[in-house]
Amino acid sequence: MDDQGCPRCKTTKYRNPSLKLMVNVCGHTLCENCVEMLFVRGSGNCVQCDTPLRKSNFRVQLFEDPTVDKEVEIRKKVLKIYNKRDFDFASLREYNDYLEQVEDIVYNLTNNTDVENTKQRMEQYQRENRDVIQRNKAKLTREQEELEELLLLEQQGNEQRRLEVLQEEQRQLQAKRKNKQALLDELEQSHVPAAILLAKHKVRAAQLETQIEQQKQTVKPASLFSTGIHMNQTVSLQPLPRIEEVLYQYKPLQVETYGPPVPELEQLSRLGYLNHVRAAMPQDTAGGYTSALACHRAIQDAFSGLFPQRG
Amino acid sequence: MKLNIEGLLVYFPYDYIYPEQYSYMLELKRTLDAKGHGVLEMPSGTGKTISLLSLIVAYQRAFPLEVTKLIYCSRTVPEIEKVVEELRKLMEFYSKETGETNNFLALALSSRKNLCIHPEILHANIVVYSYHYLLDPKIADLVSKELAKKSVVVFDEAHNIDNVCIDSMSVNITRRTLDRCQNNVDTLQNTIQKIKETDAAKLREEYRRLVDGLKEASVARETDIYLSNPVLPDEILQEAVPGTIRTAEHFVGFLRRFLEYLKSRLRVQHVVQESTPQFLKDIFDKVCIDRKPLRFCAERLQSLLRTLEIADIADFSAVTLISNFATLVSTYSQGFTIIIEPFEDRTPTIANPVLHFSCMDPSIAIKPVFQRFQSVVITSGTLSPLDIYPRILDFRPVTMASFTMTLARTCLCPLIVGRGNDQVALSSKFETREDFAVIRNYGNLLLEMSAVVPDGIVAFFTSYVYMENIVASWYEQGILENIQRNKLIFIETQDAAETSMALEKYQEACENGRGAILLSVARGKVSEGIDFVHHFGRAVIMFGVPYVYTQSRILKARLEYLRDQFQIRENDFLTFDAMRHAAQCVGRAIRGKTDYGLMIFADKRYARADKRGKLPRWIQEHITDGSLNLTVDETVQLSKHFLRQMAQPFRQEDQLGLSLLTLEQLQSEEMLKKITQIAHQT
Repeated sequence: MDDQGCPRCKTTKYRNPSLKLMVNVCGHTLCENCVEMLFVRGSGNCVQCDTPLRKSNFRVQLFEDPTVDKEVEIRKKVLKIYNKRDFDFASLREYNDYLEQVEDIVYNLTNNTDVENTKQRMEQYQRENRDVIQRNKAKLTREQEELEELLLLEQQGNEQRRLEVLQEEQRQLQAKRKNKQALLDELEQSHVPAAILLAKHKVRAAQLETQIEQQKQTVKPASLFSTGIHMNQTVSLQPLPRIEEVLYQYKPLQVETYGPPVPELEQLSRLGYLNHVRAAMPQDTAGGYTSALACHRAIQDAFSGLFPQRG
Repeated sequence: MKLNIEGLLVYFPYDYIYPEQYSYMLELKRTLDAKGHGVLEMPSGTGKTISLLSLIVAYQRAFPLEVTKLIYCSRTVPEIEKVVEELRKLMEFYSKETGETNNFLALALSSRKNLCIHPEILHANIVVYSYHYLLDPKIADLVSKELAKKSVVVFDEAHNIDNVCIDSMSVNITRRTLDRCQNNVDTLQNTIQKIKETDAAKLREEYRRLVDGLKEASVARETDIYLSNPVLPDEILQEAVPGTIRTAEHFVGFLRRFLEYLKSRLRVQHVVQESTPQFLKDIFDKVCIDRKPLRFCAERLQSLLRTLEIADIADFSAVTLISNFATLVSTYSQGFTIIIEPFEDRTPTIANPVLHFSCMDPSIAIKPVFQRFQSVVITSGTLSPLDIYPRILDFRPVTMASFTMTLARTCLCPLIVGRGNDQVALSSKFETREDFAVIRNYGNLLLEMSAVVPDGIVAFFTSYVYMENIVASWYEQGILENIQRNKLIFIETQDAAETSMALEKYQEACENGRGAILLSVARGKVSEGIDFVHHFGRAVIMFGVPYVYTQSRILKARLEYLRDQFQIRENDFLTFDAMRHAAQCVGRAIRGKTDYGLMIFADKRYARADKRGKLPRWIQEHITDGSLNLTVDETVQLSKHFLRQMAQPFRQEDQLGLSLLTLEQLQSEEMLKKITQIAHQT
């Protein structure tokens, strides 16, 4: 690309590698300085093909072949209008035919064949399909956004995993160091003979190693549920069938006792049972405890222990 | 002899058999019975090839409906020749024993055969060819289309299979490629113009076919799905070519745009690394090229080349490469990475932009093989640790076994030299490479060994640059002169002709008793293919641990991918890779039970458990605690003792009953018990 020269001031390009080449709609190149000089009035004619050009239509040349630049520009413009997607068509064949039409249009415009006709066809199409074009414009950008999101998620996932691995390694190093330190401390302080301590330490070190090995073999975080559904998949659940059932009826418990009936909780103080029970202290009553509760319990126990009358 | 392996009658064309050959055949039979995949490690030089062939041929004869074909994949042409030799011997044995001529057909395909072998492959029972014909998606389509499901695939010397898979799916694009591609595209355009003027009907015909969605290569077959284009679901494969690239002119314009985009990407001033979705997004933004037409690029190009009746396809290799790249980049969204480097790391001033499209996941290329064939066996002499292969290739084997050599006398002596005589630690670590003392100690080691070991010594270094540095230092220190008084020195270079000449002269020197040392590199041609039997290799010295260049970006991307996908730590993988190369290198010296050799690992890091544990079992067995951190002098002592022992006469009768068995000995009870213990299931 650096071997190309500006067709007008040829020498300037070689001497000044930072100079940029610009392309216009006719497909011919000019270096930046020449553009400045020739189009100082904003419009003029192309040096090589004499087509009327505007200065604003000059773009920096990205590709070595200026015709490719030209084609890409035209293509972008055409695709803004012809932006139907594959689901707008009934069959794949129709979609492919449509794509071929688009290619024909771009081809004609690039090679300057049948330009008038093609432009007319484009305008007609635009008029007929205005609403479809609008709708698809919005959709197209949404798809790109989704792709971006996916890429971003990927990146985040990678970062996280890397951090996790680093942290895991740190933890393992720490554990090893602690173990060593523990051994040294023990050797200093305890009275057990050194050989036994060393043996114990070896056992612990081996245990640590196996732990680390096991952690290394940890299974990949599951991405599939056991039913085969992916974890990120949104699954539409079928509505559960309603099952009509009989409601549960509560029946209070009946306890049979022999002898007189057990006094109720409320009657206890009246009947005088509470005088024989330790009174509840203020701290106990704060939680809702009353001495009647304990008394009632004891009375129930006693009454349940009565045997039936003989005879 | 005729063997009975769990009810199967196996013809074995030799009178004696090693016990581990028997266990190997047993494990293999069990794998075939289970109709699953297997990973088997058996030491080199123990008759692996003939065991494989005799068992599978016997299985084919016994169950012709279960196993219709044997596909034997090997790495190099000499290996393929060896296999064919063994097969011939086996067939002769069969006809001698059974008295009938069997109608087994075996077909061997070596490189550069572009003949259409379609009908012959259908009838062959055994096909022998190179890995690439099965793994590389571009070639697999042509050659391996017709292979039926009920075949057994064997990958021999498969320790490097993950690298083969990765290379087959990676593409490197340089500026020169793009320039040649530009020429190709211009030629295509001119040809299309010419044809339009003379015979427009051809182009119209092609157009009509593309519109109707008929693909050239896919007439539906009763047999199975293809091997090429691995991960794509069928619906996409059968789809019609999109309308954007139907006509020839539109397609050529499409190619031009893609080419210009690549050229603009190669003009970067700094390193860029991105994933395939990012790359595709950028393509769409810059040149409005969608994903779908890219996917059909390769196919469309093939169709165009055929229609234009281009005779010399090789001229269009550049544009074919680019279209393959386009198809690959648009098909796979995971497992690949794109790295664009403006210059090579080691030559920062020379502008040499390269685009590396590298595959990080070897399972992508080999997945269709595992899915399609009912039994795939991966075997080699150095597959340790065995469990790594199922993880990186993503398959579930029914058998994983590692065999050891039963030896009547210990014919290998692995020694780990960790220190020099001055107690300086020996290592090829990056920090110690320039250390004068380390280099001097290495030289001393080689000097002492050259005085003690008879005939040939092979020395492996970790890289060419390292080897050159060390040899230059040795020259300055005068060590080379001293060595040359004992033995001649030959050196391997990156040039193939020079290396083969050096090898030839090395062998001559070993033959006539002058003795020689061959200095070579751990990942070079010598370590991969050449065997040093008997006196050609009495000692192998591995200088350092052969780690691959760890700063390369492609490697780093691959390690990251392995860590994220397979939870394999980077260190583990690098060590595994280094140790398998080291094991390959030292395994060159032993090729049979009567052969003996020293294996010297000259680096203190080999003594560590994590590295020692990654050596194959049949080497690890013979490493004693006393041979772990030797100095050079101690090594020389042990070597002298070992060599003197080995030089004692050793006859076949000594081996009988222990490491070499006759049929009667094989069938005794205790032998059968021992055999079942040989296979160490991991």
